[in-house]
Amino acid sequence: MKRERTNVVVTVIIALVGLAVLFPFFWMVRSSFMSNIEIHRYPPILLPTTWRLENYPYTLSVFPSLRYMLNTLTIALPSVVGVLLTATLAAYAFARLDFPLKRLTFILVIGSMLMPGAVTIIPIFIAWSALGLSNGYTALIVPAFLGGGAVNIFLCRQFLMTIPRDLDEAAIIDGAGHVRVLFQILAPLITPVLISIGLFTFILYWNDLLGPLIYISRNEQNTISQALANFRSGFGTDWKSIMAACTMAIAPPVTLYFVGQKYFIEGIVLSGLKA
Amino acid sequence: MKARRSRSSTLTAYFFLTPALLGLLFLTILPMFGVVLISLTNWSGLENPQFIGLGNFKEIFTEDLYFLRSVVATLYFALGAVVSGIIYSFTVALMLNQRVLARGFWRSVYFIPYVVPSVGTAIVWSWLYESNFGVFNYVLHLLGANKVQWLQSGVTAVPSIVIMVVWGMGSMIVIFLAGLQNVPRAYLEAVEIDGGNAWHKFRHITIPLMTPVIFYNFLMSMISNLQVFVPAYALTRGEPGGRTLFMVFLMYREGFIHNSFGYASALSLIFFVFIAALTVVIFATSRRWMFYEGE
Repeated sequence: MKRERTNVVVTVIIALVGLAVLFPFFWMVRSSFMSNIEIHRYPPILLPTTWRLENYPYTLSVFPSLRYMLNTLTIALPSVVGVLLTATLAAYAFARLDFPLKRLTFILVIGSMLMPGAVTIIPIFIAWSALGLSNGYTALIVPAFLGGGAVNIFLCRQFLMTIPRDLDEAAIIDGAGHVRVLFQILAPLITPVLISIGLFTFILYWNDLLGPLIYISRNEQNTISQALANFRSGFGTDWKSIMAACTMAIAPPVTLYFVGQKYFIEGIVLSGLKA
Repeated sequence: MKARRSRSSTLTAYFFLTPALLGLLFLTILPMFGVVLISLTNWSGLENPQFIGLGNFKEIFTEDLYFLRSVVATLYFALGAVVSGIIYSFTVALMLNQRVLARGFWRSVYFIPYVVPSVGTAIVWSWLYESNFGVFNYVLHLLGANKVQWLQSGVTAVPSIVIMVVWGMGSMIVIFLAGLQNVPRAYLEAVEIDGGNAWHKFRHITIPLMTPVIFYNFLMSMISNLQVFVPAYALTRGEPGGRTLFMVFLMYREGFIHNSFGYASALSLIFFVFIAALTVVIFATSRRWMFYEGE
């Protein structure tokens, strides 16, 4: 087979468009270190004349982002646990066990993937109100423990099906129960997909806006996305602080992405190609 | 494998499935009945609900000036975002599938906008779109064009949001790229041997083999973009003149700002029927253009 050389034209286009994709991030960070006068200079200047590090302590004093991030973690971390646990359990049942109405339950559970979540927000809110739990984190965390989402169940199941049954059958003959087979033998073998699901779930909760808007009213309980949206409407013209707040809200997911890049890419590829 | 269907395996299965089935019951099935029932009432959530039959629907279809605008805005946005998103990400994926220097690096770059909070990116973009000091108008000025009131003018508001959302669709690039890498080289080489050029390869091998991936991306991004909410909440609040009054934002406003649960539920139900019908149409037409290997 002939060895093809690097396609220079395409590389240049990809790099130029790629830089354009990065531009909003560059503009955000650059604006966050300027004074408001400098930000509003026209024509715009590329970089701050002096990098005003003091913008960040100031922004933190009006926008306590650490508090908001902690609030978000309080919701996101238990939710990741809930999703991983309950999605794996359901996936194991579908991949390994035989039971009456298996086909029907599978179609119903996976079919709910197509259900637009926004449709049912009102009755679910009313149900939480009736339980007295409509103002707080409970209503945002509990759903994660109820199956963990159709896509995640499906992904886990597809992965479990690729593992030869001999492995768990041998363990069952040796007297291991299903719980042990799942958590001690199979779960370690599907760790990569579990990491992907965990990362995506975390990002999903970090970025969610509609849920927190419905269930969290007190400012000191706000999540980071919610607080950011409110900050922008409250501090409409203080662009340097708004950009600093955006930078602080965007930094954690970007860091997480660079750390777990491989799992992000794999997770997306799998959900798109296995379905 | 008959022996597996024992009592114990049935019990274990349903035990393992309990969370998922409770979720199906309490987060999907019962709430759907709830939406139908609440939509027949006039309810602010404080006093007891009042049964008013189809009153909400009558009002939505005959009196509500916002409703039609909202449907148009949502459909316009979703179609625009999905079609341009697929063209953008498929094109980038095709380019990344060539011999490109530092391909992995660029793939990561294109993916970043997907993982960051959409509220943050919406705010940053609103600063780029700002009419007097924003970068986009400065670039237009350099090109000798007039200023554009990006998010404030009726003509450009939705397209501006579309551009911003398409920028965030890095996940589709990754899916398309993986799909392209699955296209067997042997097929492409067969075309070469038969004297076909790059276009023949693209038209008769790549496109047919990619139709299932295109279908998946189209369907899933249609469902998620019809539920667009963040740009309307964080940036435009439905303005100008209801041009960005997307359905979910309207539902949120009626339900949680105006406390009209009955009315908002009626809107939800219409929205559901709307999405369901569209999904059926997409599935039905897919038979015509989707290529199944082995047929």
